[in-house]
Amino acid sequence: MSLPVDSLAFSADVVRRTVLDNGLTVLTRELHASPIVSAMIWYRVGSRNEEFGQTGKSHFLEHMLFKGTDRFGKGEIDLLTLKNGGNNNAFTSHDFTAYYFNFASDRWEIALDIESDRMVNCVFAAEEFEAEKKVVIEELRMGLDSPWGTLLQELDATAYKVHPYRNPVIGWLQDVERATDSEQQAYYHKHYHPANATLVLTGDFETDRALEKISQRFSPIPRQRDLAQSSTLEPPQRGEKRIKVQWRSKVPRIAIAYHVPEIAHPDSYALQVLNLILTEGKTSRLYQRLVEREQSVTFVTAEYAESKDPTLFHIRAEARGDHSPEEIETIIHKELARISAHGATKQELDRAKHQVGAHFVLSRERAVDQAMLLGQVETLYGLSYIDTYLDRVAAVTSDDLSSVCSRYLSETNRTVGYMVPDGSVDDEVEEGDSEGA
Amino acid sequence: MTKWKKATVKAPDINAGRSFEVISQTLKNGLQVLLVENHTIPAISINATVLAGARYEPEDRAGLAIMVSNILDEGTKTRSSLEIAEAIEFTGGHLETDASFERVVVAATVLKQDRNIGLELVADLLMNPVFPEEYVVKEKSRTLAEIASAKDRPQVVAGWAFNELVYGKHPLHRPSHGYPETIERITREDLLHFHESVFAPNNALLSIVGDFTVDEILPLVERHFGSWVSRPVSLPHVAKPVRQRERREKRIRMAAQQSNVYLGHLGIERTNPDFYPLQVLDTILGAGAGFTARIPQRLRDELGLAYTTFASITGTAGMDPGRFVAYIGTSPENTKLAIDGLLNEVRRIVAEPVLANELQDAKDFLTGSFVFGFESSAQIARFLIQATVYQLGFDFGEKYPRFIRAVTAEDITRVAKQYLDTENYSLVVAGPTED
Repeated sequence: MSLPVDSLAFSADVVRRTVLDNGLTVLTRELHASPIVSAMIWYRVGSRNEEFGQTGKSHFLEHMLFKGTDRFGKGEIDLLTLKNGGNNNAFTSHDFTAYYFNFASDRWEIALDIESDRMVNCVFAAEEFEAEKKVVIEELRMGLDSPWGTLLQELDATAYKVHPYRNPVIGWLQDVERATDSEQQAYYHKHYHPANATLVLTGDFETDRALEKISQRFSPIPRQRDLAQSSTLEPPQRGEKRIKVQWRSKVPRIAIAYHVPEIAHPDSYALQVLNLILTEGKTSRLYQRLVEREQSVTFVTAEYAESKDPTLFHIRAEARGDHSPEEIETIIHKELARISAHGATKQELDRAKHQVGAHFVLSRERAVDQAMLLGQVETLYGLSYIDTYLDRVAAVTSDDLSSVCSRYLSETNRTVGYMVPDGSVDDEVEEGDSEGA
Repeated sequence: MTKWKKATVKAPDINAGRSFEVISQTLKNGLQVLLVENHTIPAISINATVLAGARYEPEDRAGLAIMVSNILDEGTKTRSSLEIAEAIEFTGGHLETDASFERVVVAATVLKQDRNIGLELVADLLMNPVFPEEYVVKEKSRTLAEIASAKDRPQVVAGWAFNELVYGKHPLHRPSHGYPETIERITREDLLHFHESVFAPNNALLSIVGDFTVDEILPLVERHFGSWVSRPVSLPHVAKPVRQRERREKRIRMAAQQSNVYLGHLGIERTNPDFYPLQVLDTILGAGAGFTARIPQRLRDELGLAYTTFASITGTAGMDPGRFVAYIGTSPENTKLAIDGLLNEVRRIVAEPVLANELQDAKDFLTGSFVFGFESSAQIARFLIQATVYQLGFDFGEKYPRFIRAVTAEDITRVAKQYLDTENYSLVVAGPTED
């Protein structure tokens, strides 16, 4: 089986990897189709690094990095982005925190000024910290108004006993409320330094000149001892776990989480293919069974994302009409049992592999998309992951599918969550209508 | 006849720009085809747009246009639903159907080597859908379930209610997917009739952008779309919505974490020449980079009232007037403070001239970030459609910076007074009861 794309087209060969003396990793990839440069910086810190009672710190820190340094006062990073016609944003996950700027290619160097400065010079004014805490709490509340946000948060906290992936990235409300600026600052100094970061530059620039500029800004930052990344190992699950989450909804929802391996694990490629065969597109097994045949769900989806430590494979669906979560769950188990017993057809395998290959090309059109890929892979594992990725996917067989399905997507390894109506709400109550008031 | 036009996307005062040639050709059946070669990645994007959407559907069949779009890929004269899915999914590409108030869109993105099947499927869905009864029944029931699910999200519920207040009897008052009772009413005959009356090559645009040469793609376009038969299309007249002359208010009680506030009124049409000064106003008031605009700066950064808050009048401008909307999601106890905060900022931009540096920064942002809208083939394909529908011209990239540069502080005050109203507005609050 060959994939529809030349894997060399996106090989790490076209990416230059440079490590500065202070330990900062720099990845550069020239793309000259559009006059745009994306500059991203990735820190190897996320909610997996947070200690007991301190959840949400990595994410809160991401907010504080826009609150000012001595050189760039509060609001100035956004203002410079505005004046230069760019855009910026940031995101935090279990494994990393990343920041990006997109600028036209005649003015991108301002991104280096900002990132090199706020890597070490962020100030934590107490009043700014308290004001931003309110914003973070509003963000947390917004997430709790989403039924899926709430259900998955409870499910993951149940699936893991000890590993920090059990905590929401945004943190538990009680921890966020108690957070202090001094603790936050200590966390910043511990994790934000050159050897714990990767700078990624993609787009319309000239590499040698860009590296010179990068070195000018970042080399003066002293090297700091890189703390060995240690993480708790999750003990194996001994049997099925089940939860019911009561919520103000009339629509039952179901989510199942299975413990599965981390990025680049030999079984991870078969699990990615299995993910596609289960729910990608209308031809997929669970779509055909649950949406088409039984008509018992509005949608069904499986999710398995690359992660540093062993993670969870989720399958979730939203019930419709009179169909119960129990009925939907039974069918999901049956479909998984079929794959465990018989694997997949050649056509299913070929289709999934084509989807992986095409996605690899189609989803990397913009400079920022390539920066995302490179930064994430370097942070989680190393660039070599990209070089072998398509070949490893191409090598997946039907036997591999049945083997990973029976090994990981099993009864003892699963946590099942239902979201059920709490009976509090019939229909929303409308009041205070007024026209011409 | 083939027309060659060179389109440039570049502000005069920046050194970075991108130019591309637009080839516009009208087939014998009246289908206007817009082509741009873009060799960035080995792929092509196809965007076929039928120039009629939910604004033309009868009130008692609200949801019809979206349902038509959702069932287009559930069966054609020669392919079953599963065969269509097999064909596109085997390539690893995407085939999407969607409808808005103005249009129905069939779009595909495929690898270069799959361009023929990509074009063939798009043409088949447009020309030969059969709307199988089985799928009409399924789609109706799925839409009803989705509406029930969407009701769990206070922001969505508040948005629906806001449109009802702002648009009165105009079609945009309703959710584009319709209401449960109108969805129940829709029959297969309604779908066939909608398709028959508005799906025609002379009422459609086709844009294709990506890794091809014009010489090789034109015969493929002719082969797949040339047999689409033209016919007269007459669209019903839609009366203009009337701007409210009084305050309207609705409170919806939901056991949620946050109060969701929508405040605003009728906005402007995309072809309004004041679109550009209003875009500068939006950037200053509620929609700039990061949290630079006044509303996020004040209500989020200074007062800590929200994670999400913004305001915009140009964001929804279309054939019909869009909405001026100021939004905030905040803790229930802060609802009144938040509403006052939104109103204060709107009042301030109406009453006081904007500062010279605010104006300059907003203009620099708009002209400098313009290039980000043209990075991918799918973005360029959408631009070609927009430029045609709203008669922006393919040289829009050259004109746009001039329109923005010309805006003065006096223009901002003039359009603020003319288009923003701090007395006669609609207000929706969805969330827990406030104390």
